[in-house]
Amino acid sequence: MRAWTLIRFYTVFVYIFMFAPIAVVLILAFNKAEFASFPMTGFSLRWFERLFNDPTIMRAFRTSLTLGLMVSAISTTLGVMASIALVRYEFRGKDLMTTFLISPVLVPETVMAVGLLIFLRYLHMPRSFGLLLLGHSILALPFVVLVVQARLVGIKREYEEAARSLGANPLQTFFSVTLPLLLPAVFAGALFAFTISFDNITATLFWRPSGMETVPTQIFGMLRNSISPEINALGFVMISVTAGVPLLAGGLARYFGRKNRARHPTRSLT
Amino acid sequence: MALEVAKFDKRPWVLLSPALVTITALVVIPMAFMLAYSFYLNVDLAVDKPAFQFGNWIEIATDKYYYVAIWKTFRLSMIVTLLAAILGYVPAYFIAMTRFRHKWMLLLLLIMPFWISFIIRTLSWIHILGHDGAINSLLLYLGVIRHPMDMMYNQYTVIVGFIHVFLPYMILNIYVSLDGIDRNLEPAARTLGATGWQAFREVTLPLSLPGLGAGCLLVFVLTAGSYVTPLILGGPNDFLFGNLIYDAIITELNWPMGAALSITLLVLLGVVVIVYSRLMGLRQLAKAFA
Amino acid sequence: MKKMDSTTRLERLREAMGNGDIDKRDFLRLLGCAGITAGLSGGIMTSLATQARAAGTDLYFEGWGGVVSEALRKYAFDPYTKATGNKVIDSTFGGEKEVLTKIKAAGSTKGHNILHSSGVDWYMRWTKGGYGVKLDMSKIPNFDNVMESIVAPFKKITPGYLSAVPYDYGTTGIAYNTKHISKEEAEAQGANILLNPKYKGKIGGWGGDWANRAWFGALQSGQDPNNITDWNAVWAKVREMRGLVKKYWSSGAELMDLLASEEIWVTEAWSGRVAALQAQGHPIGYFDPKNGLAWMESMFVLKGSPMDESEQLLNFMLAPDTALAVAAGQKYPSSLDPTKVKMPESVTSLPAFDPTGKLASLVFRDPVKWNAVEKVQGRMWDRIKKGG
Repeated sequence: MRAWTLIRFYTVFVYIFMFAPIAVVLILAFNKAEFASFPMTGFSLRWFERLFNDPTIMRAFRTSLTLGLMVSAISTTLGVMASIALVRYEFRGKDLMTTFLISPVLVPETVMAVGLLIFLRYLHMPRSFGLLLLGHSILALPFVVLVVQARLVGIKREYEEAARSLGANPLQTFFSVTLPLLLPAVFAGALFAFTISFDNITATLFWRPSGMETVPTQIFGMLRNSISPEINALGFVMISVTAGVPLLAGGLARYFGRKNRARHPTRSLT
Repeated sequence: MALEVAKFDKRPWVLLSPALVTITALVVIPMAFMLAYSFYLNVDLAVDKPAFQFGNWIEIATDKYYYVAIWKTFRLSMIVTLLAAILGYVPAYFIAMTRFRHKWMLLLLLIMPFWISFIIRTLSWIHILGHDGAINSLLLYLGVIRHPMDMMYNQYTVIVGFIHVFLPYMILNIYVSLDGIDRNLEPAARTLGATGWQAFREVTLPLSLPGLGAGCLLVFVLTAGSYVTPLILGGPNDFLFGNLIYDAIITELNWPMGAALSITLLVLLGVVVIVYSRLMGLRQLAKAFA
Repeated sequence: MKKMDSTTRLERLREAMGNGDIDKRDFLRLLGCAGITAGLSGGIMTSLATQARAAGTDLYFEGWGGVVSEALRKYAFDPYTKATGNKVIDSTFGGEKEVLTKIKAAGSTKGHNILHSSGVDWYMRWTKGGYGVKLDMSKIPNFDNVMESIVAPFKKITPGYLSAVPYDYGTTGIAYNTKHISKEEAEAQGANILLNPKYKGKIGGWGGDWANRAWFGALQSGQDPNNITDWNAVWAKVREMRGLVKKYWSSGAELMDLLASEEIWVTEAWSGRVAALQAQGHPIGYFDPKNGLAWMESMFVLKGSPMDESEQLLNFMLAPDTALAVAAGQKYPSSLDPTKVKMPESVTSLPAFDPTGKLASLVFRDPVKWNAVEKVQGRMWDRIKKGG
């Protein structure tokens, strides 16, 4: 029992470490002064006002959202397929392939960005949204592979073999057995891919077409002038939206789910 | 199954091909361009001449300046990786094993910081450790200190910044592998007489190694390839190999040198990955027999 | 750690399995729905946005962001769009080198039209690199109000024509915290205050530009920055200063933050940024040391840009009302001649402002001398910065 308590305290400590900076961002969003610093000079909503009156940020937000969702779709699809090949099959050159799939992580982003640009020049292709999409997908792919692979290793093969022996074809087996078991990993991979795209700055600065801003590049532009609490206000809004929506949705789901489960008690066994 | 193994199995290659094609087109070919570029001659700022000469490579191989940067990079990456592993394993274990009903919330909380820009997150450490930061303000208010303490812009702030940014990668990787472990194993070990600690050490820990390994690899590689964190949180002495690349490509506009440095970093990190995949590859094999 | 009660533990595990998984699935489903909704709305918005800007020519402007962009958008870009139907798409660069890297990598200036270019040395680099144009000054009547003294250095590089219009100027002097350093003490030491061991760990400097470091190294080693004879002496001073520095800042925002939080007490600094700090009530003093660095910024038109529209925009930007509003906003004096255009107090009180319009008191970088040595000397700073 004592060990578990210790683990719990340790975890709480780590979460505090993770969230101290976030808390600071949230608090300073309401600071009155020009500078984001302590002690606070007063409570003010003026940074939010400025933020919401800034159409460029709203546009950047939409760009980032669209981009992130498309990136996570692409890289998760590619990543899951590759991971299944790597974990489920024995073949020659497997180690090499694993290394190869993870290799994009090794390339410093500046290098990757410039390299891809040089390559595009040879193809006579201008920078575009498509380049950002492909580039981000490549940046996210290794993470998806790593996450999904680690999960897949833990899934017992017997389940699949049982399904096969019961007459399911490989595709049926995948969709009815492997995929449900894999879903948490797929989800984690997709979320990872989304966040990597959503948070990327270094490569995006190079790849984005002129006039297109994502949230990080927009923030970067704001930072050039001053580290104003408006940025913290943006952080506040982003946290509220990204954490608030799922929390609310989760609460609602539980509410309806409980009703549902009461009607179909067997579901809770699966 | 045995029959299928005997002949050449196309299926893994079918599954792999989309990813392989994408990586080849968007990473391998551009990197080949970079390699070719590393032999070019930089005539003047932003003016390069196609050539085949080893000037850049000779400079890297003979100049102590670059060795110092490599050493610094590896040292710092090791420290960050180790600390992240120590800090990250326990929470991952907690999330995987807790009976807390809203487990997904704990996971979501981990990813949440990513949704605020990386730059804001890094800068926020200045608001905590700086002169105007939360800690100094609090201590001044309480009268513990008279003058703000100097805590910013040194090696330690860089390490803190790195760990803060990369810890979620570590925790999530460990969590994913812990969560994939059959939950009956540890209790089973205990019914066979093992203590809680023994059960963990003999059963759970080895099974979670792929995740721990993946997390360590990721954190190491990501740290070794960064350059922004030391710029924001470090002092004059804090820099990484990535900063040299950035300087060469962006500041000096000397792409041939930048390309040569990039390839150097790539090869060094590649060695790390090969060592890793040898190690972890063996472990996974061992596990298959268990 | 002690042995755990295995029954409780088992129970907990079982519960975790049951609950955790179900919650996760619900959560997944919901997140999927949320994702689809967001994706759809995002897609619709994007397509709407593309339709909205179908008419007129697009001009791509790149600048330093922040209040500079805000002022330009409000006083120049928006009226321009209203008057002509052409749209100005403005974005932020991290420095002109970033733009040059992009253009070089892409092999064309497509998507880049007008730059808020800093320094005559960059004017030289862009024009010598073949990225310049020949502006038709008859289409920019407001150019007549620009100081001759600020145009001359540009004309020297491209005799007979211009590829840019000078827009503003400023200085890089010394900023110090008046709580810790008195005005007399600071000004008596000049550029050498950055080498005073008394302030070790309280000194800052701009890390982003080798030429800036070398300029101060020249001042500290007693040389004429536009005629450096002993580069070793310059770098020796730079090394000496590095040992005392707490932080080399890399942006104006960082400079302001370091000064305001008193992490550093003394640093070289950009005049406009210090003016902004003073306006906010911070105890920061500023002076230009002897032979301190002055610079001018221009609106540079890149090759391949739609010329009529670009010239029209430059004319808008140089209109006295616009130029002065922008100057007051970004805290750098306008390039307009104060003897021809009446300036409000918000502009005349800016640091480095020269009421004579001759700029005789300011020392600018000689681009011919400095660009010639950049390939060799530029790397020195990158090495010294890292202790080499």
